[in-house]
Amino acid sequence: MKTGKKLIAVLLALVSLVTFTGTCESPRTLLTIYEGPKTMTSSAVANVSVNGYELFVYDVMVNHEHIWNANTQPSSTPVTYFDFSGKAKIVIEMPGLPKPVESAAVLPTSCGIEPVVDNGKVRFFITEPGQYTVVFNDSVNQALHIFANPLEEDVPDRDDPNVFWIGPGEWVMDAIVLKDDQTLYLSGGAVLHSIISVANAKNVRICGRGMIDGSDYPAWNQPGSYARVPIDLNHSKNVTVEGISIVNSNCWNLNSYSSRDVRIDNVKIISGRQNGDGFTFQSCTDHVVTNCFARTWDDSLVIKNYSGSTKGITFKNVQVWTDLAQSMEIGYETDKGLTLDPEISQVLFEDITVLYNWHKPVISIHNSDDAYVHDVTYRNITVENAFMQGDNGYNKELVEMTLQNSSWSTVRDEFGTIDDVLIDGLTVLNTLDGKVPRSRFAGQDEEHRITNVTFRNVVILGKPVTDLKDFKLSLNEYCEGITIQ
Amino acid sequence: MKRVLSLLCAGLLLLSVFSAGLSESEDDIETVVTVIHAPEQEHPERPDCFPDPEDDFIPLPETENYALNKPVSAGAHTDVYVSKNVNDGKTDTYWESKGFPAEMVIDLQGACTVSTVAVCLNPSSIWEPRTQEIAVLVSTDGENYSEAAPAAKYDFDAATGNRIRIDFEATEASFVKLVFTMNSSSRTGGAQAAEICVY
Repeated sequence: MKTGKKLIAVLLALVSLVTFTGTCESPRTLLTIYEGPKTMTSSAVANVSVNGYELFVYDVMVNHEHIWNANTQPSSTPVTYFDFSGKAKIVIEMPGLPKPVESAAVLPTSCGIEPVVDNGKVRFFITEPGQYTVVFNDSVNQALHIFANPLEEDVPDRDDPNVFWIGPGEWVMDAIVLKDDQTLYLSGGAVLHSIISVANAKNVRICGRGMIDGSDYPAWNQPGSYARVPIDLNHSKNVTVEGISIVNSNCWNLNSYSSRDVRIDNVKIISGRQNGDGFTFQSCTDHVVTNCFARTWDDSLVIKNYSGSTKGITFKNVQVWTDLAQSMEIGYETDKGLTLDPEISQVLFEDITVLYNWHKPVISIHNSDDAYVHDVTYRNITVENAFMQGDNGYNKELVEMTLQNSSWSTVRDEFGTIDDVLIDGLTVLNTLDGKVPRSRFAGQDEEHRITNVTFRNVVILGKPVTDLKDFKLSLNEYCEGITIQ
Repeated sequence: MKRVLSLLCAGLLLLSVFSAGLSESEDDIETVVTVIHAPEQEHPERPDCFPDPEDDFIPLPETENYALNKPVSAGAHTDVYVSKNVNDGKTDTYWESKGFPAEMVIDLQGACTVSTVAVCLNPSSIWEPRTQEIAVLVSTDGENYSEAAPAAKYDFDAATGNRIRIDFEATEASFVKLVFTMNSSSRTGGAQAAEICVY
């Protein structure tokens, strides 16, 4: 009897605990959704709701041609966004698919979401802001990108004379030039056809939840067109870019040249046209890119030297989908400005998830001028799908480091070096053929070598790799101190 | 006692499912929603915070532009910025010389009475302000030139359309030559003109 009473007491305590937990764990969800411009119609491909509220879905350019083509024609994929805190139930219908949805996967895999597919509908819950990509029926065609932003904070005062405030709607103008101490706010629900130039300016902020859309111009290399970089920072300092999306650019996307003290947070880039590089920095110092997304038809995260050295570049918690070229590229141009003693140093790629890498190496340092590239760290890199198709059998490596001339070289009679590189945490989940992909290091000569490159915690296809041979790394004689632990 | 225990166990099980599972009751997440509405629009518009600067543009004559699509000749150009861009009717293409002085000759293909030359750059505000020094010469035979407007510095600013006009006494001309001797832009070492118009 005493045992029975104790059991009842324990059960009652558990009931109370469960009830208490049940009532306390569901705080209200705060949700902000944005009507699309009245001049546009929501995508016919995808219907998406969050907690029962319909979202406006944009069709944006992407490109499934995984080889360079100067006259490539992009296709499109659906994209939507909202802001929230708490819990969000996402429900998706895909009337634009050639057949009903039978299966779905939510990426990144690390989010651990297993969606429910029921009668052609997909549903799942999220509790953390972030970028989520849904792939249907095991096909990447018309994958849905959902940008679940955190709620906005520190929204600029639209009455401030230094604030340019662009509300929801579709807007067009040739270019926006921001000067010292100015802020451009691009509201959620805004689609802006323009470019933003920050040249020789300081203390500039670009923020909001809206989209910069370059679809009103042909690709830059087509007759009559020219490159219109959506956000172009040039010799500027103390610049912040946060929250917005950049789509349909006709060239590069977010460019920074000879600038310093730049912070980029929660910026989403999707491009499908020629030379659609994502975050691309030349001869910059102290740039930090966090919580961002880049799906690009050219290099996604790029560091080069155009005029002077590069120092202090961090990419942290960034998702990448590279339809063409490399995911994390240092080079090829490392001294385009023919400067004295060019360097690229103090570079960190951390917590990078490569959803798909379709063409060239995932990690690459192509020092094809004469720079001293050193102190470069890759930490916790996850490659979900290492699908390098390469170019006619070449450029299919997982990791590639070279000291060789290329068609992008400016300095052809001198070479550089690569030293002190750490790759700590490299996980590959899938490859095209189910085998470990090749990697390649090639120094130039006795004086121009690749030295002191350390791999740690490498796991490919579920198996730890602790031997360079198993890693399939080819080295020429001008490499030294290359180890895997 | 067993019945009590069974009921408690069943209740506990139900509560567990209710609180942790994907039950239908979870479909209704208490949500405070803010909807940001879009304005009524029939076409894309210029944002209100960037007033159209065209009201402040330097006005150009409304008479015929004798230079449009006429033959031109100049010295070496920079990169792809060839001389024929100066009178193609488009301000998003331009000519850029390779160094100074830079001469641009426009063959009007017949005698015209001319009194104004306009030099235009791309009106986009992405072109930062700059100053160019320009002289205008005219000729009836393409060989002997006389000065219509002496060399002077002209300010190009997107706020005024990135264009300047040079007015001079009306004169007969079959050829108009512009001589550029300076450009303050740090981005180039040559003369720049998207359009040269002759009225």
